[in-house]
Amino acid sequence: MAWPGHRFAIALLASVLLLWLAAMFIIMRQAALQADATGVMLVVFEPGTEEDKAFAAITRANAKPIRKTAFGFIWVVEGNAGMLQAEGALGSYRDLPISPEIAGCVAVVDAKVVTAFGL
Amino acid sequence: MTTTKALPWYFAPMIVLLSGCCVAMVNYGVRASFGLFTLPISEAHQWPREIYSFGIAVQNLMWGVATPVAGMLADRYGAARVLMAGAVIYSIGILSMALTSNPLMFHFGGGVLVGIGIALSSFNIVMAALGRIVPPEKRSWAFGIATASGSLGQFIFAPLAGAMLGAYDWQITLYVLAGLSLLIIIFAAPLMVQNTSSSAAAKDETKLSMWAAIGQAFAYKSYWLLTLGFFVCGFQVMFITVHLPPYLAEFGISKELAAIAIGLIGLFNAFGSYMAGVIGGRGVKRIPLSLIYLLRSLAIAAFILLPITPLTTLIFTATMGALWLSTVPLTMGLITVMFGTRYMATLYGFVFLSHQIGSFFGIWLGGRLFDQLGSYDLLWWVCIGLGVFAALIHLPIRESRAPSFAAA
Repeated sequence: MAWPGHRFAIALLASVLLLWLAAMFIIMRQAALQADATGVMLVVFEPGTEEDKAFAAITRANAKPIRKTAFGFIWVVEGNAGMLQAEGALGSYRDLPISPEIAGCVAVVDAKVVTAFGL
Repeated sequence: MTTTKALPWYFAPMIVLLSGCCVAMVNYGVRASFGLFTLPISEAHQWPREIYSFGIAVQNLMWGVATPVAGMLADRYGAARVLMAGAVIYSIGILSMALTSNPLMFHFGGGVLVGIGIALSSFNIVMAALGRIVPPEKRSWAFGIATASGSLGQFIFAPLAGAMLGAYDWQITLYVLAGLSLLIIIFAAPLMVQNTSSSAAAKDETKLSMWAAIGQAFAYKSYWLLTLGFFVCGFQVMFITVHLPPYLAEFGISKELAAIAIGLIGLFNAFGSYMAGVIGGRGVKRIPLSLIYLLRSLAIAAFILLPITPLTTLIFTATMGALWLSTVPLTMGLITVMFGTRYMATLYGFVFLSHQIGSFFGIWLGGRLFDQLGSYDLLWWVCIGLGVFAALIHLPIRESRAPSFAAA
């Protein structure tokens, strides 16, 4: 019998990661907040947005920064989702008990897909 | 396998291997997400944290104690059946975590049942099945990929469960995890190709009875050395898992960075485990195993002697991740070399029990000595010393079939 080798391992890794990403996107969609939502939330700006510009947008939206992340465009704040979006945020999501960096990156893609397809 | 009869497609090598990897991924992944439920469950029932923590402690203890029994059952009745039974118990245990508000029932369900379920459906059992199915030259590689799959499960399930906790609620998340753990039943089906209950011992395997084999193994010095070494593995791994985040906090490392650092362990663990399987397949196993323990000691020494910064933290956790479960394929490989595959699940079970006892001491002593001394320094040095000890005791292991296990 022919037993698989390293290619099998790479294919397995790739398949699992793809499946995982798909599941994460579905869950992030569920965690997306409507414009009237208030409270603690994960907010994402356009990738590449400088930290101080994101901070300024958050304060203009009368939101309170709670945690910044390793990426300047992903923040955990307390505020209003609609006001944050009016100040340039791509989207607002429930604050999930996972790394905000990982959640934020998935959220950015989710927000882009929603914008592109008008979901 | 030497049969020339055409086998159904679901017994094809790739399917069997894929199934084993999926079982390992689900089993380890679901277990890895339990830490996320500490707060929501404690808050929902207005429990002090101790109740949830005690349940998880019981779970770990049961996992360790049940593993040799699970191994015996797998060696006697076949791995697939044990995995399937384990999946059902695992799922019932998780469901009871979601449904009960009684601490005693929680300890029984989340502690005893889940612990037994994890042991019965764990990648140890998968590796035992693969060890019998896969040809000897591919065996170490198969152990590596099964261990890596478990690590990968840990890496992907924890954020998924975390995201679900935020998007839904903790009970729904537990229902989903209970459902996912039932998938092990489907994944285990192709492992039916290896069915020890209806087969006589293979011609190059020992004819000893199970209890005689256990007795002979414990009379063999190399088995004791391997068992002692795995105690060290458990001690180091669980000490770091539980006590690294508070240690990092003492040096001003943020919780967010600590979480990323722990995540890196999971990621590099998958690669390390896989590579250990590949290396183990190329020749002697005790030398790489000894080197892993030595490298762990060196990494820990460098980490605590250098200034603790975000960069050194990430380098340390990535290094430790690569050395994390990489001991597993080599340890399992040594067991098959010394004792063959007939009782490998049972004999690995006892070695794993030693790992869990080490885990207990790593967690407990870390907390106790910190309370007494106000510092983790002594425990870090204990980890370094134990690593050197483990590196040394693996060197005299005889990497050949134990005399009483030679084929009759």
